[in-house]
Amino acid sequence: MRDYIIRRILGMIPLILIVMIVSFGIFSLVPNPFAALMENPRIKKADIQRLIKAWGFDLPWYLRFFKWFSGVIRGDWGPSLLYPGSMARDVISRALPVTMRLMGIEFLVSLVIALPIGIISAVKQYSMTDYVVTVISFLGMSMPTFWSGLLMMMLFSVVLKRPSGMPLLPAGGIITPGLEEAPFWAKLGDRAQYLVMPVVVLAFFSLGSYARYMRSSMLEVIRQDYIRTARAKGVPERSVIYKHALRNAMIPIVTLIALSVPGIVGGAAITETIFSIPGMGSLFIAANVKADYPTAMISLMLTSILVIVFNLVADIVYAWVDPRIKYS
Amino acid sequence: MAEKAIEAKKKGQKKSSEDYTYAGMVFHRLTRHKLAMVGAFMLIFILLFVFVGPLIWRADPNAQIEGLGGLFNPASRAHPFGTDDYGRDVLARMFFGGRISLFIGFISAISSTLAGGFVGLVAGYYGGWADNILMRFTDAMLSIPTFPLLIALASVLGKGVWQIILVIVVFGWMTDARLVRGLVLSLKEQEYVEAARAIGASANRIMWRHLFPNTLAVLIVSTTIGIGGAIIYEASISFLGFGVQAPFASWGNMLQNAQQFIWNSPRLIIYPGLAIFMTVLGFNFFGDGLRDAIDPKLKL
Amino acid sequence: MDNREVLVDIKNLRTFFYTEDGVVPAVDGIDLTIHRGEVLGLVGESGCGKSVTALSILRLIPNPPGKIIGGEIFFHGEDLLKKNEEKMRMIRGDKISMIFQEPMTSLNPVYTIGNQISEAITLHQKIDDAEAKKRTVEMLHLVGIPEPERRFSQYPHEMSGGMRQRVMIAMALSSNPELLISDEATTALDVTIQAQILDLMRGLQKKLGMAILIITHNLAVVAEMAETIAIAYAGKIVENASAKEIFKSPRHPYTYGLLASIPKFTEKKTNEPLPAIEGMVPSPYHMPKGCRFNPRCPFATEKCREEEPEILELTPGHLVRCFHPIES
Repeated sequence: MRDYIIRRILGMIPLILIVMIVSFGIFSLVPNPFAALMENPRIKKADIQRLIKAWGFDLPWYLRFFKWFSGVIRGDWGPSLLYPGSMARDVISRALPVTMRLMGIEFLVSLVIALPIGIISAVKQYSMTDYVVTVISFLGMSMPTFWSGLLMMMLFSVVLKRPSGMPLLPAGGIITPGLEEAPFWAKLGDRAQYLVMPVVVLAFFSLGSYARYMRSSMLEVIRQDYIRTARAKGVPERSVIYKHALRNAMIPIVTLIALSVPGIVGGAAITETIFSIPGMGSLFIAANVKADYPTAMISLMLTSILVIVFNLVADIVYAWVDPRIKYS
Repeated sequence: MAEKAIEAKKKGQKKSSEDYTYAGMVFHRLTRHKLAMVGAFMLIFILLFVFVGPLIWRADPNAQIEGLGGLFNPASRAHPFGTDDYGRDVLARMFFGGRISLFIGFISAISSTLAGGFVGLVAGYYGGWADNILMRFTDAMLSIPTFPLLIALASVLGKGVWQIILVIVVFGWMTDARLVRGLVLSLKEQEYVEAARAIGASANRIMWRHLFPNTLAVLIVSTTIGIGGAIIYEASISFLGFGVQAPFASWGNMLQNAQQFIWNSPRLIIYPGLAIFMTVLGFNFFGDGLRDAIDPKLKL
Repeated sequence: MDNREVLVDIKNLRTFFYTEDGVVPAVDGIDLTIHRGEVLGLVGESGCGKSVTALSILRLIPNPPGKIIGGEIFFHGEDLLKKNEEKMRMIRGDKISMIFQEPMTSLNPVYTIGNQISEAITLHQKIDDAEAKKRTVEMLHLVGIPEPERRFSQYPHEMSGGMRQRVMIAMALSSNPELLISDEATTALDVTIQAQILDLMRGLQKKLGMAILIITHNLAVVAEMAETIAIAYAGKIVENASAKEIFKSPRHPYTYGLLASIPKFTEKKTNEPLPAIEGMVPSPYHMPKGCRFNPRCPFATEKCREEEPEILELTPGHLVRCFHPIES
C-alpha cells in the first residue's frame, strides 16, 4: 500500500508539469500581454519595461518558461496587476481559502443529499420516489448555475425581505462589513447567511449527477449474482442493501466523484462572480477581464493542481476500499 | 418474419421482441420512455420557436427604440416579451439568440464526439505506448477545470462564435475519448474481432467496420447529452462577456445584460434562462431515454 | 415406493414473468416431490423452467417482472408460499440452501470468504464470532480446501473457480440444511473440476444426509448423482421416475430423444449421423397449442395438437405426461 501511494505521488509529477506547461502556454498565446497597460496613460513607460524584464518577456519563450517556472516554485509569484501595490501571492492566498471553504461545504451538502436519494432511488426502481428523484436530478443538472443563482437572488434578496426591510438573504459578499474581528461563533452565524445561496445553487447542480451515478451504480450491483447469494443465505434485505450492495456500489462512485471535481471547481467561478465572493474563481475571471495574465496563469495552475491532488486522494481511497486492486 | 408478425396480429397477440429489427426495437422502446418523449416535445417546441417563430413575428433583434420610453417595456402588443435595456425587442432577440446558441451547441457537441471517438478508437485498438501517451495527455487535460480553461482561451483567442466552438471542442473531446477507449478495449476481446483477424482483415477494416458501429450507440447518446453541456458552456462564457459579442444576441449574453437589472426588470432574466433550461433539459431527458432504449442494460 | 418422509411437495406451481414483450409462463404447472435424503435430478434444456422452479422454492423470484401466481410448495407440511418474508428468511440458508452456477460472480468481492461463510452461520445460529470462525474453518476443511485457516482471510478473486464453488458449498451446508438445491453448480467448471465437485457433493450427502435437488441439463451428471430424475420441458414436467427406469426405459418421446442423442462409445460403429430432436424449444411468447412438445414429436397425432395431456402414473413410481408414451 505504501509503495502504491508513493508510486501514485510520483505519477502526479508529470501531470503537474503538463498542467504548468499548458497554463503557461495558453497565456503565452496572447500577442501582447501588456497592451492594456500600455494604453493606460498613468503608467510610465519605464515601469512597463521593468515589468517586461521581471516577467521575462524580453527572453525567448523557452527561457521565459524556465524563469517563470523557477519563480513559481520558489513562491515568487510577482506583483499583482489587478491590485497594484499588492503581491500576487497575497492576493491569491487570500482568495484560496474562501474558495476551498465554499467548495468544501458545497461538496459535503451535495453528497449528503445525493447519495442517500440515489440509493433509495435504486432500491425502489420505477416507483414514484425514483421518478421524482430522477426528475429533480435532471432539473438540477440542466439549470445553468448563473440562472439559478440569479433566480435565487431575485427571490431571496429582492422579493423576500426581513421585517427590517433588508433582503432576506444577502445578495453578495461573504461577511457583513465590520464583523471581521468578531468572535468565532458570531462570525460563523454571519458567514452562514452569505453562504446559503451560493451553496444551494452549486449543490443543486452537482447533486443531480451524483444521485444519478449512485443510482446507476447501485442498480448495477443489485443485479449481481452475489446479491442473489446473500438473499439465498437468508440475509435480511436491509443488510443486503447496506452491507453487501452498498460497499460494492461505492467503489466506482469514488472515481466518478473525483472526475466531477474539475467541473465543480470551474462552475464555482461563475457562482463566485454572481455572488461577489472573493474566491479563486472570481479572481481568475477578473484577471482575465483585466488582462492580469500572470495572476491568471498561476490561478489556473493552482486550481488544476488542487484537482490533481484530489484525484490522488480518490485513487488511494479506491485502492483501500476495493480489495481486487493489485498494488503492482 | 413478416408472416409471423401478420399471424400474431391476426390472433390479436402483441408483437414480441423477435418480430422487430434492431432499429425498430430502439424506436419502440424510445417512444415508450416517458421522460424521453417529454424531452422530445420540449426540443420540438424550442426548435419551432427558434426557426418558425421569426417567420411569424418579424422584428429586428437589433433595432433600438428611440427615447427612454422604449426601454424596459413590459409585455405588450408591440413587443410580446417586452423590450430590453437598449429598447430592443426581446422576443426577436430570443429567436436569434436561440439559433446561435443551438448552432454552437450542436456543432461543438458533434465535433468533439467525433474527435474524441476517433482518439478513443485508435488508442483502444492499438493499445501499447500510443494508448499510454494519449491517455496521460487526456488525464492531464481533464485535470484542468474546463471552465476556467475556456475563459482563458476565450480571452486569449478573442471573442466570437467560431472561437467558442473551437474551444469547446478542443477541451471536450476527452470524455468521449475515454468512453470510446474503454468500450473498444472490452469489444476488442470479443470473438468476432478474433474471427475477423483470423480471416485476414486489416486493422483499419476491423476498426471501422466492426468496432466503430458498436461505438455509434454510445457516441450518439454522448452527442445528445453533449449538446446540453455545450449550450451551458456557451451560455456561461457569453454570460461572462467572453463569448458572443454585442450587438448579436445569444441567450447567454442576454442574461449578462439582464444581471444589472435584476431589481427592476426581472423578466429579462427569466426568458433567456428559461429557454436555456428547457433546451438543456430536453436534450438531457431525450439523451437519457435514448441510452435506455439502445440498451436497457447498458451502464454508462 | 419411497418410505422416507416427504420433505418438499410442490403442487401445480405456476411462476410467470410479466415483461414488456409479453407474458412468459416459465413454470406452468410443475409437480415435484422430494423425500428426506433423496437426490432428485431435474433435467431439461435452457429455458424449460428448472431454475425458476428452484428460485420459487426459496421465493427468490425477482418481482418485477416475475411472480408466483399459483400452486403450493409444502415444506414439512407447511405451504412456503403462504409464509411471510421473515419466516422465509429463516428457512433460507438454514433449512434449505442453494448454490448457483457461476462461482466467479457468486461471491461478494469485497469481503473475505471467511467473513461470508461466518455470516451464514451467525445469521441462523446463536453463537459468537469466535465460535463461528471455528465452524467456518471446519466447513472449509470439510469441503476439501487446503490450509483453511489461511484461506479464511482470502478474498474470492484470490481463488480459482473450483475453489470458489467449494466455498459456496461450505457456505450452503454450514447450518446443516435438510435440502440443498444445486442450480447447474458444475456447468461452468472444467470437466475435471466438475468431477471433483460432484464427488464432494456425493460424499457430503452420504455424511450429512441432506436431500439434494440437482438441476442440470447434463444427463451424465444426473446419471452419476441422482436416485430419481424429473424431466422438464417448456415449463412442465414430462416424465418423472427413478434414474434406473429413465435410462433403461424412457417413456416420453422427449426423454427418449434426449437419451438417443447422447453419443455412446459402446455401440457398434455405424455411419449414421447422431439422432437429434428436430426443431427447437418453443419461444415462451408463442407456446404451441396442445401438448407443448408436439411440433417436434415424431409420434404426434391430431389429439396431441389439440389437447394437453395430464401427467399419469404408468407404472408405480413412473410418471409420464403423454397421450402415446413409448412402450417399455
